[in-house]
Amino acid sequence: MHMSDGLISTPVAAVAAVAAATLIAISGAKVKQSTRSDLVPLTAVLGAFIFAAQMVNFSIPGTGSSGHIIGGILLSAFLGPWAAFLALSSVLIIQCLIFADGGLLALGCNIINMAAMSCLVAYPLVFCPIIRKNASVGRLLCASILSCTVALEAGAIMVVAETKLSGVTALPFSRFLLLMTAIHLAIGIGEGLATGAVLAFVRRTRPTLLSHEESMTRTSKGAIIALAIAAVAIGGGLSFAASSDPDGLEWSIEKTAGTNELPTTGTAATTAQKLQSSTAAMPDYDHTLSGIIGATISMLALWGICSLLAHKRAVLTKTHQNGK
Amino acid sequence: MSKIDNAIGTLNAMERGGATEFCPRFASSTRANMLVTLIYLCLLLSVPLQDTQRLLWFAAYPIVWASVVGVGYGTILRRSLYVLPIIIFIGIFNPLFDHESAFIVHGIVISRGWLSFVSIIIRGMLSAQAVILLIGICGFADICRQMRTLRIPTFLTTQLLLLYRYLSVLLDELRTMLRARAARCYGRKNMSLKLWGDMAGQLFLRSVDRAQRIHQAMLARGFDGVMPSYSHAGHSGSHGIWAIICSAIWIALFVALRWAPAIDF
Repeated sequence: MHMSDGLISTPVAAVAAVAAATLIAISGAKVKQSTRSDLVPLTAVLGAFIFAAQMVNFSIPGTGSSGHIIGGILLSAFLGPWAAFLALSSVLIIQCLIFADGGLLALGCNIINMAAMSCLVAYPLVFCPIIRKNASVGRLLCASILSCTVALEAGAIMVVAETKLSGVTALPFSRFLLLMTAIHLAIGIGEGLATGAVLAFVRRTRPTLLSHEESMTRTSKGAIIALAIAAVAIGGGLSFAASSDPDGLEWSIEKTAGTNELPTTGTAATTAQKLQSSTAAMPDYDHTLSGIIGATISMLALWGICSLLAHKRAVLTKTHQNGK
Repeated sequence: MSKIDNAIGTLNAMERGGATEFCPRFASSTRANMLVTLIYLCLLLSVPLQDTQRLLWFAAYPIVWASVVGVGYGTILRRSLYVLPIIIFIGIFNPLFDHESAFIVHGIVISRGWLSFVSIIIRGMLSAQAVILLIGICGFADICRQMRTLRIPTFLTTQLLLLYRYLSVLLDELRTMLRARAARCYGRKNMSLKLWGDMAGQLFLRSVDRAQRIHQAMLARGFDGVMPSYSHAGHSGSHGIWAIICSAIWIALFVALRWAPAIDF
């Protein structure tokens, strides 16, 4: 579900980044209030644990396929939603910066879609109300499956909304939504089963580590308020981002000239146009295609020149070092 | 297992430093590189999808800067291919739904859908290359330190540094567990959900124990909630000025690439 920068527009990325930064600031403040002094190393090491656990695929029963965990609900059950949100955000930041998994500008979108939807939406609203103190394994599994499914479906809906608002896909909204929610329903059930399996194991071997039994009623209210604020911010911001009005320059030209495309006039401009036509390498091709071919060839040439220069510099530096 | 080996390899490469000994000092300023990358990404993503030519010109930055810092564009290009699956998954629907003609080549109509599909791939790969280049030049630890100076919550930066530090340790532990399992499972590759749960649970318990040991060690060394950061060897005044000039040239070039009239070939 990691969105790449190629799938979003700058305004959508900016709005999501502001919303994610707000949630991170709120989470940071909430975690600071915690009395647990070991929360910093615990959050970091469990973040690393989630990263490692994502590397191992498990078989999804009855499908013949395999999947891996995302870990929002699992982390929330051990750390509480705010610290889990920060841990998952950190994992996403590291995946983006070190492993190029998800774009840098899309980081805000990814944090909202994956970390916020699982830790701050599905955990307090679905997992906590179902689970109780000394809940049976069946109830634990049921809570895991439902909350993971809700988290992934909510994330998938957000991906659809962000991509559509960015104007990247030509796929109609309803079909795109249907496709994404159908895929993520299956993934959500798999994730829920895996989360339930780990929770059941830890409860069997070291039950004191599960935090949800004490904290679930205290955390839901704060999470709901934070989410309401984020929802208003995202809604307002995205409606602004989706504006189809012309930009400042186009608006000014349109107001002045009555059109936003000015005709070419004057001897200099006409001469330049003629010169350009005479030197054009692909005059018979459509402007779009010739532009693409020209730019590609130029970039390949630039790559070749840069590689040659870099190689020459490396040889010179080595010779200089050997000389010393 | 190869996935884990790849991840450990990437982390080790990061530790050694992506930018080689040939990287000029003025090019290694973390703050300047962060600013240039951010502006590059914003302007790159603001290019309309139908303007493929303009998007291609933006490749100049990773190509030139990679050779200046001595990373090699081929390496960056290979690593950026990682983003392709998700981009193709979403972008492939454009040719199916947008049949409006963009241009004709030797009688074959190329639709706007195909054009935008190619643009999405270029955008995605170039933005990934910019990030790979940034992290290759500056390193993750330096970026975290800069994030702290930008008033990003200390809790986040501290645990980002810790997470980064312990990632390779836990991946190594996982590799040992998987190797032990592989030695005893008689060639069975699939892992049942129950077995996966038990293994992940074991790894979780080991992680918690490790976190507690780390916490004790940190407390013993005077940890007060903030990771101490050493002061960098520092850039001299002339390097700082060169970094500013370089950044200004790049930003001016990005603005020109974004808004200059398209070139007819």
